[in-house]
Amino acid sequence: MKKILLTSLAMLFFVSLSFAQKTVNGVVKTSDGDPLIGVNVLEKGTANGTVTDFDGNFSLNVSEGATLELSYTGYQTQEFTVGSQSYFDISLSEGELLDEVVVTALGIERSERALAYSVTEIEGESLTTAKEVHVGNALAGKIAGVSVSNPATGPGGSSRIVIRGNGNISGNNQPLIVVDGVPINNDNLGSAGMWGGQDWGDGLSSVNADDIESVTVLKGNTAGALYGYRAGNGVILITTKKGKKTGGIGVEFNSNFQTETIIDNYNFQDQYGHGNMGSKPTTQEEAFAQGLYAWGAPLDGSSVMQFDGVERPYSSVGNNLDRFYNPGNTWTNSLALTSGGENFNFRIGMTNLDNKGIMPNSGLTRRTISTNTSATYGKLTASVSGSYINDATQNRPRLSDSPGNANYTAWSLPSSINIDDLKGDPDKLGANEDGTELQFNDNVFVTNPWWAAHQFESNNTKNRVFGNVSLAYEIANGLTAIGKVGMDRFSEQRRSVEPYGTAFTTLGAVSESDRDVQEINLELLLNYQHDFSDNFGMNLYAGGNQQKNYAESIGIRGGNLIVPFLHTAKNGANQTFNYGFSQFQINSLFGSAEFSIASSLYLTVTGRQDWFSTLTNPDGSASENSVFYPSVGVSYDLANGLDLPSMFDFMKVRASWASVGGATDPYQLSLNYGVQGQGHLGQPLGAITSGTIPPAGLVPSTNKEFEIGFDSRLFKNKVRLDVAYYNRNTTNGILNASISPTSGYGSKKVNVGEISNKGVEVLLNVTPVSNDKINWDLGINFAHNVNEVVSLLTPEQDDEQIRLEESRTRNAYIHLVEGLPYSQVMGFAYARDDAGNIMLDDNGLPLAGELLPFGTGVHPTQVGIQNSFTFGDLTVGFLIDVRSGGMIYNATNAYGYFRGLHENTLEGRESGIGAVPAEEVQNYYQRIAFGISEEFIDDASFGKLREVIIGYKLPANILPILPFKGGTVSFAARNLGVLWKSTDNIDPESTYTTGNGQGLEMFGVPVTRSYGINLSLTF
Amino acid sequence: MKNSLYKFLLLFGFIVFCNSSCDQGFVELNSDPTKALEIDPSYQFSWTQLRTSGGRYENWRASLIYSSMMMQHLAATCGYWVGDKYTFNGGYASSLFDRAYQEQVKDIQDVINTLEAGVVGDATMLGMARIWRVVIFQRLTDVYGDIPYSEAGKGALEGIDFPKYDTQEFIYNDMLAELESAIGQLGTGGFGAADFLYGGDVDKWRKFGYSMMLRLAMRMSEVDPSGAQAWTGKALAGGIMVDNSDDAFIEHTNGPEGINRNGIGEVLDKSNGFGDDCPRLSATMVNGLTSTGDPRLDLWGVVGTTGAHNGLPNGLDETTILDNPTGTTVDEFDRINPLIVSVSTPMMFMTSAEAQLLAAEAAVRGWGSGDAATHYANGVRNGMNQWAHYDASLAVEPTAIDAFLAGNPFDAANAMEQIGWQYWLATFLNEYEAYANWRRTGTPALTPVNYPGNISNGQIPLRLAYPASEAGREPFEAAKTAQGLSDDFPSMMSVAVWWDK
Repeated sequence: MKKILLTSLAMLFFVSLSFAQKTVNGVVKTSDGDPLIGVNVLEKGTANGTVTDFDGNFSLNVSEGATLELSYTGYQTQEFTVGSQSYFDISLSEGELLDEVVVTALGIERSERALAYSVTEIEGESLTTAKEVHVGNALAGKIAGVSVSNPATGPGGSSRIVIRGNGNISGNNQPLIVVDGVPINNDNLGSAGMWGGQDWGDGLSSVNADDIESVTVLKGNTAGALYGYRAGNGVILITTKKGKKTGGIGVEFNSNFQTETIIDNYNFQDQYGHGNMGSKPTTQEEAFAQGLYAWGAPLDGSSVMQFDGVERPYSSVGNNLDRFYNPGNTWTNSLALTSGGENFNFRIGMTNLDNKGIMPNSGLTRRTISTNTSATYGKLTASVSGSYINDATQNRPRLSDSPGNANYTAWSLPSSINIDDLKGDPDKLGANEDGTELQFNDNVFVTNPWWAAHQFESNNTKNRVFGNVSLAYEIANGLTAIGKVGMDRFSEQRRSVEPYGTAFTTLGAVSESDRDVQEINLELLLNYQHDFSDNFGMNLYAGGNQQKNYAESIGIRGGNLIVPFLHTAKNGANQTFNYGFSQFQINSLFGSAEFSIASSLYLTVTGRQDWFSTLTNPDGSASENSVFYPSVGVSYDLANGLDLPSMFDFMKVRASWASVGGATDPYQLSLNYGVQGQGHLGQPLGAITSGTIPPAGLVPSTNKEFEIGFDSRLFKNKVRLDVAYYNRNTTNGILNASISPTSGYGSKKVNVGEISNKGVEVLLNVTPVSNDKINWDLGINFAHNVNEVVSLLTPEQDDEQIRLEESRTRNAYIHLVEGLPYSQVMGFAYARDDAGNIMLDDNGLPLAGELLPFGTGVHPTQVGIQNSFTFGDLTVGFLIDVRSGGMIYNATNAYGYFRGLHENTLEGRESGIGAVPAEEVQNYYQRIAFGISEEFIDDASFGKLREVIIGYKLPANILPILPFKGGTVSFAARNLGVLWKSTDNIDPESTYTTGNGQGLEMFGVPVTRSYGINLSLTF
Repeated sequence: MKNSLYKFLLLFGFIVFCNSSCDQGFVELNSDPTKALEIDPSYQFSWTQLRTSGGRYENWRASLIYSSMMMQHLAATCGYWVGDKYTFNGGYASSLFDRAYQEQVKDIQDVINTLEAGVVGDATMLGMARIWRVVIFQRLTDVYGDIPYSEAGKGALEGIDFPKYDTQEFIYNDMLAELESAIGQLGTGGFGAADFLYGGDVDKWRKFGYSMMLRLAMRMSEVDPSGAQAWTGKALAGGIMVDNSDDAFIEHTNGPEGINRNGIGEVLDKSNGFGDDCPRLSATMVNGLTSTGDPRLDLWGVVGTTGAHNGLPNGLDETTILDNPTGTTVDEFDRINPLIVSVSTPMMFMTSAEAQLLAAEAAVRGWGSGDAATHYANGVRNGMNQWAHYDASLAVEPTAIDAFLAGNPFDAANAMEQIGWQYWLATFLNEYEAYANWRRTGTPALTPVNYPGNISNGQIPLRLAYPASEAGREPFEAAKTAQGLSDDFPSMMSVAVWWDK
């Protein structure tokens, strides 16, 4: 890395010295004579430029005879040639607002004015200063209607992005991700469930934030209608950076360092120590059996037996979490070379990301090489863009259930046990002298946290290439053909080790697997553009796409290792072998027609037909395997059309309707049998492998959405208000409907249900202060989504429910419930008498009552407040992220009750509770712990100070003495503070899965706050 | 406009993307190349026998942690061995129900369906499969009470997503009728070596079928004596298991597929990487064997640090053991002999010892032919000899058995107690059966423990609780009401099942 930098620097000097240079200075003012800050001053045809300071002054080194271009939003761009003069006094006149162009479906660029739907674009820069290892998480709070859940899974984990609410009963609710016009895979590669496991990451995590020019979110169905079956959940379009027109080779360098520490929500009791029935253990056996339980005596400092036979003071040991978790840190360095001219541009970027996680012995590295290059020869333009990503993650933390989950143990030790006393062998943490796990309690499944962190392995390496090659040819004036081949391919190597000597599997087990996943898209698009007159134009697109997907995996698991501590699958006495294969294809034809009248009224009609192999019956019988997806939209700019007063820059009203869809996986239409050839006692074994009953026939799900809105910009863009209302109905969801396992199957694949999402999105951008000293930009985005599961399995039956997830405690669930919002957190309530009193059994223990829904696990309301203040070269910004209305089942607290850790369990220890005597009060709380889930269902609403950025731009007047053209130093912090929450002992953002069943928490990786510094230089 | 655009698109597409039609080749593309659409039912029958023996999951929870503890075969101080003290763990209690329908019922029902179609297989296979189905459901209904039966496992076959719960009375009567009809189908053919029970030996299957009939018949002794007597008569007339070569069990191995192992061994076999060291032989067991001079004590128990056989009393925890007069650490008590709980030991479904003891009971009740004392002696002898199936070194000398019988002769006045005690011993490690027969007969007389926080007021629970995941489902709610069960899952375990009067 260093070497490349030095070479580049040398090149840079060579390049810059080869031109005769001259410094020009000047001041830029309004026609009223007020200085203008932040005016872009660019040496035309190059990337050489600067911006004006507080007083409107600028200074720039330019080549002799250069042309300077001055641009400022809301003002007319001015150009002039630098002659012998070296000082300029310039006044800019206010001009027509530039008609901004945005990227839409299929990479088609369209005027904002013409859009009949809501589109939000954010700059790549807003993702790179306050960095997240997963770029998706950096979107949180920034876009109205885009909900980002950052689960408690560690830095290599997935992100859950949902736009305008969950519509699909099952399967994917996340948007399509498109990079430079080509869809990429964003599948979750595995996540934790009730029995534990880890988050193996997703596809979007491969996208390198430093290569992103902009992110455009197509929220509604009309916006994505040209993506047909893939548009049901919205679309995120990522445009990568291109080369800029420069005289030579430009160099961009960005270095970012962040350090993170856990946000300590831990607030368990520290008054009673380990023990049982109110007593201290007296023998090692007792202490070992009670190692997890804080049902002992009041902590009195006396010498008390612990699990290892050592007597230690019976007093609170203080913060175990700080002893266990490390500060995490992330280094991200990226370097890009760019160049451009009249007929070509290129950019080559390299990024190295190194992360050390807060979980000991965990982290990841990600190396990216990317390019975006194009060249034009006559009527032909050829472009290549793509990335190669090498991603290696070490020890993805285990979550949820206890085996191998260090978080579980670290968070649930009695306060009299010091986690450092569990370290064992200093050369092999968590181990006894003989190398096996140092157990500290009698439950083999509650793993020593040091052993879990240092001896378990769960690593994966991904090598991925995605990108596209495209050729555009102008056949005739106005008629262009574009052919594109896009590919996304990755191979993943995965290794999991449950080491030899682990208490719950004393001989250990090793799994190794390889997986290849590929998608190829062939696309051809014809575009015909014709303006019949100044007032009437037409823009037609027609095209087709062929999508081919393939996945293949092979794996081996070796259990009962023969040679102790030799962790390779071949060393296993029991070996199992797995192979998986799937492929599918979708053919599509599509077209779009846009008509514009007087640059104010726009009408757009699109249509797409998709043919699915996955809906084709494998027995050859007739199947409904094709669907047509239409859309229509209209927009009208009142400012242009009605000649509104000049304070209205733009005043657009819009309305649209579309029908898009969803798809399903291959091989769902038949009941299959699998064979285990090695068998038993020489006999082959075979069984039905389908856990899901195949359907007689299946159609794709349908999303129909109506959207209206308006977008107004006032006072030279100082105020922008965009409001959208949408009403989306998703029907015929393809679902593995959970049925009674007594049917032999856990679920049944059906086309069912109807889910409605209605909502409002408001985007308000205001610049309350803008003068020569200070600029203040305020952005507020607000979204409220009303979700309702209208019907589930059978339309005629009411009160149906479907189970999405289950907690390890086995008494809290996530259900879909008819008539209620998506993802209901279900729990057993207290049994209450008619007066509402909690009913007790003969022993005074509370009785469990009905299983009831306690609210949705998805926040219906989301508010983001962004502020940015600029004082000359200094910028200060912050983002507040507010979510409200969702619930979470707090399994940490359920265990806190069971183990006597929770502060509430202090009550009654001296006096008893009702008929329960003091020494047996643990029975009272333990009965609640895994019997009455109502007690642990919390409101997950929160307000967080999500992001704070302080940036300092190197001032123009010192640049001439520095070897670069521009630079910014920023300090950034993320998740700096929780402003409010009502979940005790956990962060409200603590779900352990990115699946559809949101609202279950259990011993995930703690949420962190991070501080970082970012240095960005251009040469 | 839209229409002409559409036509244009289609034309364009056919030319460029979709040679002749836009879904060409899709039929082949959507056929899974790694799986079969049909399979030899004998592979599935083998699979089902293995899965009925069960995995670690339900053997650990429902069989060992609950049943073996409540039956006081074993004892444990570890808190999560909840059956020792009648405390509640819903997931443990429901574990057999959670696993059996998808792993056992689904495939046996499919095998029966395939064989009934008559295209492949023969009637003997069908008879065997139907008997095996009874084995599965008898265990389930004994543990839980009313369960889905007649409609169960038919999700794919008949589209029944939420099978109704049948009453235990219906299930028992139907299972008996099934056994009679299935035994009648046993003739030539059969599964051969794919049958892990008897290698396809039809005569042995017939005896197994009639022995199952006897077991089911006797289960109704208290609730439906006349029905019980009638079916007992049929079973004995048909011919039940006589000696240990008739014992119904499956051999397990330590591989190669990962599902070959004995599920109990997967909990307790430390030499093969499974490490639950909690259970010990119970004081009830050791004291009983010692007082009668039963040679099985040396087969089952490995003495602890005291150097003499010593059973752990039920109901102790790590603290109360400190005041226990017979030993204050768990190492002072007998562990289970690893030879009978390894991953490659057999799993018993029904033994000749049980059949002969039931016949003895029938004779005592006056329902059977034959001599109660002879059947009893056969039962005791077979009960001692059956451990040779586990390991040749566990064979008991005939002289030792003779000596035991001489020392503990059949006593007509005390017959039910004697038979119950021997049945309790014969079903060691077949804990579901031990639990069912004890609930019916009340013998041996077990002294319950009364541990703080227990769910049954200090009584041995009368069934295990259904899965909480069934809550809210209409068939379950109906069954709950019909059986007089409340919403509170722990309290379900204090309500007797139909045949338990």
